[in-house]
Amino acid sequence: MKIVVTVKLVPDLNAPKSIDSATKRLVRAGIEPVLNPYDEYALEAALQLKDRLGAETTVTLLSMIPASQKETLRKALAMGADDAVVISDAALEGSDVSMTSSALALALKKIGFDLVICGGLADDGSTGGVPGAVAERLGIAGLTNARKLEIENGNVKAQRETDTGYQVVSVALPALVSVTMAVGEPRYASLKGIMNAKKKSIALLSAADIGYANAAPKTELLRFAPPPGRTKARIVEAHDGAEGARVIFDFLRERKLV
Amino acid sequence: MKHVLVVVEHRKGQTRKVTYELATEARALADQLGGTAHAIVLGAGAQTLAESLATYPLDVVHVAEDADVDAYLIDPTIDYVEAAARSIGSCAVLVPNTMFGRDVASRLIARLDAGMIADVTGFDVDGERLACIAPKLGGATITTCAFVNCDYAVATVRPNAFSAQTSGSGARIEALQKPPDRTYAMRVESEVEEASGEIGLEEAPVVVSGGRGLGGPEPFTTLLKPLADALGGAVGASRAAADAGWVPYSLQIGQTGKTVSPKLYIAVGISGAIQHKVGMRSAGTIIAVNKDATAPISEFSDLVVAGDAFAIIPELTKLVQT
Ligand SMILES: Cc1cc2nc3c(=O)[nH]c(=O)nc-3n(C[C@H](O)[C@H](O)[C@H](O)COP(=O)(O)OP(=O)(O)OC[C@H]3O[C@@H](n4cnc5c(N)ncnc54)[C@H](O)[C@@H]3O)c2cc1C
Ligand SMILES: Nc1ncnc2c1ncn2[C@@H]1O[C@H](COP(=O)(O)O)[C@@H](O)[C@H]1O
Repeated sequence: MKIVVTVKLVPDLNAPKSIDSATKRLVRAGIEPVLNPYDEYALEAALQLKDRLGAETTVTLLSMIPASQKETLRKALAMGADDAVVISDAALEGSDVSMTSSALALALKKIGFDLVICGGLADDGSTGGVPGAVAERLGIAGLTNARKLEIENGNVKAQRETDTGYQVVSVALPALVSVTMAVGEPRYASLKGIMNAKKKSIALLSAADIGYANAAPKTELLRFAPPPGRTKARIVEAHDGAEGARVIFDFLRERKLV
Repeated sequence: MKHVLVVVEHRKGQTRKVTYELATEARALADQLGGTAHAIVLGAGAQTLAESLATYPLDVVHVAEDADVDAYLIDPTIDYVEAAARSIGSCAVLVPNTMFGRDVASRLIARLDAGMIADVTGFDVDGERLACIAPKLGGATITTCAFVNCDYAVATVRPNAFSAQTSGSGARIEALQKPPDRTYAMRVESEVEEASGEIGLEEAPVVVSGGRGLGGPEPFTTLLKPLADALGGAVGASRAAADAGWVPYSLQIGQTGKTVSPKLYIAVGISGAIQHKVGMRSAGTIIAVNKDATAPISEFSDLVVAGDAFAIIPELTKLVQT
């Protein structure tokens, strides 16, 4: 079985971020790209399936990123993915959900798959729109917010999280699944994994390679501004419960919140 | 873009509050764009819900009470929403920024070749050009983004960003045709309830949230829940609490959890890591109860009470209750 995990690289959350006022794009210079946290869970879900299903199951990473960042994917290869495919093209810079999902869907058609596993949300763009749009463009089932994946008789069976619990859903392969963090903590790369990762292949695909012509975004950033500031907190030491409670209650009254 | 279509989210016969916020905002938007305001409500109980929606300032409420909508994940819903959008013509589709809303939005942009803007907190109309205001980069930047090169647009809108107002004018209710010859792949085999979740966390006006400082699962029910109930709110959690198994992940707030914008956020025994901050920083008022007055949360709170949560919260609950 061929599993493809879609992986985005995002700027380190802890780094201060800004948008370039000329290009209206995120300033990436000087900020280390990291694997999108959610996608580490997607990879973990794929590796768990590979652990159970054995060596005929392969895990390929698919990532649309600037080619200069491709080495960052070694960390995911070290965790246990078999190889990686990178879509990179000047024509795809500044992609929005519509373009990203089109490019990923075209690349998936080209490289082939039985199961696509996506993260739930990208840390920078954070639309959560890519997985569903890719499934729709491929005309395959798209099961979102899944945990506990199993493969049974050519079906993927999952618990799908809802706001109050979960649903059990089983769909025929080929299919796309997006996962939540409840699939389990992403594993650490072993020393052997890190050594092996150096030899693994990272293939590059251009827009032409996947047959993507005339790509144009459907959204355009017009302006951006810092969020409204909050005034400095009032800090009160409470010597006992009653005093602390009174301070909060008075504050709530002051702000007409009770 | 001229018209506006709101996709209604509901469960167990109850419309989510954010839907009414969207229905109200749809009118304002449609008036600015020079078009009409619509809503679509699907599945079990849709007819009854349509009647309550009709008291909001909409022109048409489209309705289909089709068992497939509840028996299968998302696909039947998308068939109906796509058909409604096409019958209305070039329109902005508004959905809540919730799990359901993101599912609808992501499918719909492929069907309608539409642009998508997520986590919208405001709109900006210039002629027929529609732009959305949305916090990005974990709330560090507030962006204004326009839809371009598309006849259809989809916005996932943050709950609590707009207020809801009935108008009593009376929208027209129209039944939708069942899409012909469709078979669906994702049948729901069974459904399990884990948390009570009476108020959706994302739209609760007040969130009382607990972290590692609470030390175990019990204080979430014995300490936080009574306070949340007294304030008419919901209980949330940090990831540390969810990871420890004290609460389900559905209560987690932050980077890898839910984003909330309540009027009031009370963080109890939460240090305020950046991954937590990005999920709650836009709350109206933030109050922290923490043993440590220098915890990072004090940098973005309005009030920090340094003290023991186990002593303070029960007393506070009593004050609020009386
Ligand atoms: C990729 C990634 C994603 C993440 N996503 C999220 C996310 O979505 N949401 C999230 O919350 N975190 C997230 N985290 C984790 C985050 O970094 C922090 O580890 C987590 O938020 C800490 O939770 P906490 O504040 O409950 O615990 P701690 O940091 O341990 O803080 C506990 C606090 O309780 C106080 N305390 C202890 N006892 C008492 C008492 N009796 N009364 C009052 N106060 C007391 C302490 O002073 C302390 O400040 C993520 C991390 C990573 C790496
Ligand atoms: N440029 C990209 N390359 C590969 N995967 C992506 C890319 N953008 C988004 N994804 C996938 O889609 C998921 C949701 O992203 P988003 O819809 O952008 O919030 C991510 O967790 C990834 O799995």
